[in-house]
Amino acid sequence: MRDVVVVGAGLTGLVASIRLRRAGLEVTLVHQGIGGLQLGQGTIDVLGYRPERVARPLDELADFLAAQERQGGPSHPYAVTGPEAITEGVGFLSQLVGPQLLVGDVHTNVALPTAIGALRPTSLYQPSMADGLVSLDPAEPGALHAGCRVVVVGIDELKDFPAQLIAGNLAATDLPDGGRLSTRAAQVSFPARGSEVDSTGLNIARALDDPARRSEFARVLSAVVEPGETVALPAVLGIEDARAFPELRAQLGTALFEIPLPPPGVPGMRINEKLTRIARAERVEIISGSALTGITAEADRVSEVIVATSGHDTHIPARAVLLAPGGFESGALRLDSYQQLSEPILDLPVARPSGELINDSWAREQPLFRAGLATDTDMVVLDPRTGGPVHRNLHAAGGILAGAQRWDEKSGEGIALASAMRACEAIVARCEEKDHD
Amino acid sequence: MYQGVTMADFSVDVVVVGGGATGVGVARDAAMRGLDVVLLERADLAQGTTGRYHGLLHSGGRYVVSDPESARECAQENAIVTRIHADAVEQTGGLFVVTPEDSEDYADGFLAAAHAATVPAEEISVSQALAREPRLNPGIKRAFAVFDGTVDGWQMVWGAAESAREHGATILSYHRLTRIHRENGRVVGVSCHDVKNDRELSIDCRFVINAAGAWAGQVAAMAGCHDVQVVPGRGIMIAMNHRLVNTVVNRCIRPADGDILVPVHTVSIIGTTDVKAPDPDRLAIPRAEVQQMLDAGEALVPGFREARAVHAWSGARPLVKDTRVAAGDTRHMSRGMAVIDHRERDGLAGLFSISGGKLTTYRLMAQRIVDEMCAQMGEQRACTTADEAVPAAVGSPTYRVTHRLAEREQAWQRDQIVCECELMSRSAFVDLLAAEPLATLDDLRRRLRIGMGPCQGGFCSTRAAGLLCSQGQTDAPTATIELREFLKHRWIGLWPILAGAQVRQNALDEWIARGTLDIDHAPGQADPPERFPIGAPRHDGQPAGSEQKAEVA
Repeated sequence: MRDVVVVGAGLTGLVASIRLRRAGLEVTLVHQGIGGLQLGQGTIDVLGYRPERVARPLDELADFLAAQERQGGPSHPYAVTGPEAITEGVGFLSQLVGPQLLVGDVHTNVALPTAIGALRPTSLYQPSMADGLVSLDPAEPGALHAGCRVVVVGIDELKDFPAQLIAGNLAATDLPDGGRLSTRAAQVSFPARGSEVDSTGLNIARALDDPARRSEFARVLSAVVEPGETVALPAVLGIEDARAFPELRAQLGTALFEIPLPPPGVPGMRINEKLTRIARAERVEIISGSALTGITAEADRVSEVIVATSGHDTHIPARAVLLAPGGFESGALRLDSYQQLSEPILDLPVARPSGELINDSWAREQPLFRAGLATDTDMVVLDPRTGGPVHRNLHAAGGILAGAQRWDEKSGEGIALASAMRACEAIVARCEEKDHD
Repeated sequence: MYQGVTMADFSVDVVVVGGGATGVGVARDAAMRGLDVVLLERADLAQGTTGRYHGLLHSGGRYVVSDPESARECAQENAIVTRIHADAVEQTGGLFVVTPEDSEDYADGFLAAAHAATVPAEEISVSQALAREPRLNPGIKRAFAVFDGTVDGWQMVWGAAESAREHGATILSYHRLTRIHRENGRVVGVSCHDVKNDRELSIDCRFVINAAGAWAGQVAAMAGCHDVQVVPGRGIMIAMNHRLVNTVVNRCIRPADGDILVPVHTVSIIGTTDVKAPDPDRLAIPRAEVQQMLDAGEALVPGFREARAVHAWSGARPLVKDTRVAAGDTRHMSRGMAVIDHRERDGLAGLFSISGGKLTTYRLMAQRIVDEMCAQMGEQRACTTADEAVPAAVGSPTYRVTHRLAEREQAWQRDQIVCECELMSRSAFVDLLAAEPLATLDDLRRRLRIGMGPCQGGFCSTRAAGLLCSQGQTDAPTATIELREFLKHRWIGLWPILAGAQVRQNALDEWIARGTLDIDHAPGQADPPERFPIGAPRHDGQPAGSEQKAEVA
């Protein structure tokens, strides 16, 4: 008998597993894929747009939630978790991974350049992104401010970092301080392996884990960088070796920052690696490459979780279950060809916005992505028809929750962490209750 | 009023209006006969009906019972098109199958009818059919093999256009006809607007061939010939992300909705419906018809609904309803084709309106109409379009879906892949961009298939926008607007069919574009209007040209 089975190894599942383990529980983490961290940008978003750009996410949360409430539909996850859970979750993650991997302040958003040259708000970011930080507070300029000279350096072999597009758009953007950047694009060649012409960011990052290749890269870069310029590079500056970025920066002797790429995203993978190592070290039992296929329920409780392991089903008796499998992007929510919504593995009832789920406007939001599981404040999954729990010990957190437009709001990591905290708190309390029985 | 003394930009024998298969076929035919030709297309070549069909190159089997003459024409033209457009045609072969839902009455007469129409066909056993197409409904009762093929409408039209150019024709896409000039009961010239360069052109000519298809009535009206009624017959098609079959599969019934599944490139396409539409520039993709197509797919391939629909589009068949059509004159005209000689109908010499017909017989239709025009000119000029392959097809084997893979195996150490789904290389994109510096991303897509695979542009569109910048075609904010316009156009054909694994894909695409890249807050308009709108403005004040852009996946 395990205390908890956590399903899903994204940010939610990893952080929750460690949190529960540290509370003294026996935790099994079951996951099929490699988790959602590598899909995203590798920073910690709390709330970036409401839809105006947000400078102080926690201060602006109440207004955001009031507007969400007026709009109707399933409650926003932040309305369920409350703001303290956000602070707690972001704080816990920061402690886990340390300032080598995440810096910044949960109360204050900054803007960071994206791989098409937009300025994207986020709360916590990796130290390798700090030289690209644009402050949203005109009174306190960030590393990049009016008049700064930036050279965006593309790598010929890497097609997902369009340097001219990024440089051109950055130069065309008004900064919060009213000024603009002075940018240019440059191009270098740096094949990841041999003479290959089509390298992924991941393979270049692996190459840059090698100190010899780092020095080579620094030499190639220095040929195109002019004194006084800040260098913008794709986020490929090492994945395993934490010394990669500081060494490169020192060798180049100039301000230098990384811009996240489309998946597979190296910054997210760094967080994934770090959290997975911690989970293993703290003896979370991890069952990889295995899909949840069902549960056994007794009365109003889940008694065991069924997992497809190699060649047979494994039944794992558990006192509580935390579902953290992600949303539509992970296949954890499904819309079939008859336009019927479902949670396909356990057939849990799905909360949905009223009206059409998908509309003809590319620019507008698609209500479909607000669909998901509804929960109470303990993150226990509710049946939206009755308002009652589906099973008293079945919790959900992260991307499977109803009520958010994570990509538009820039709220995904904050929701993951806050809901993980609430779920952990409830699971720990329940397990302690049982221990006293 | 047209002034005959004004210097025209061109002075030619024939102006062809419409850059679909018919118009380009007429331009090629006339140019090959030594006539001076200008073709005007208001948008991109084959952006209308030709680019919005299922890709079938008819064997004739579809018509052996209902219209044997049409069947015979198809069989003959199939062989010719396969020869002269080898690069655009895949010789897939076809099957006519009787599904468990169908009666065998039609099938009983099928072979005899095929024989009478000289369309090659043979009956094969159900087990042979299933061996050939393992996903076919195992409950099928009978199967007939025919020589159906598939043809890429864009590739074919661009091939014919290139051939026409070689023979001296001037092909002007994004040139909208604005006026047809007449003097003393004759057409004497046209005016047009060069959309991308925003300027006017005038062209003197002896003949105008109106090959505007579903839009032919609008064009005829510009010459003062009113009430040419062309009713668009709207049909939807859905592309599934795999070749569920490698052979064209027809239901062996009288032609009906949802009776064909066509493997084209990397996808298979189920079609189609037929509903009268008020405006060919506004073609809907109704959900009810999507459901009807998915059910039709189930009848042919069980589990069809679990396969992944990647894109849908709507095309407009032109149905000419005009009592004054020289309808009896079928000796000279191709079946299904309507020709109006406006000399007889309206007392205006030098204008023909041509509409209808089938893509398979586009060459024959062009031959017939140019024959008629030459007769009116009093000149003897022989048609040679069947004898000479278009430039892209010279020395080319017929298309196979593995072509790009073979090219990739040669080039993988030299060239990047920009679009993984369609194996489109960086050099293919950069070379075409250099040749067509005014091309939009959608123009490039129609030629290269970028963004047409399962991810629908999720990964490649940003790379393509980056290349627009790095190749010096445009600045970053404009490239960003182009990127949004491209994704917006993809969405037209996505949202009506979004389900299953394609929802998962779309969630990832949204995560990348809006989440990671924050495309909504990059420079340039967040929801850009159509740069090259088509058709009349919409009643809600929005520019036209969104609905009608739904086209082949």
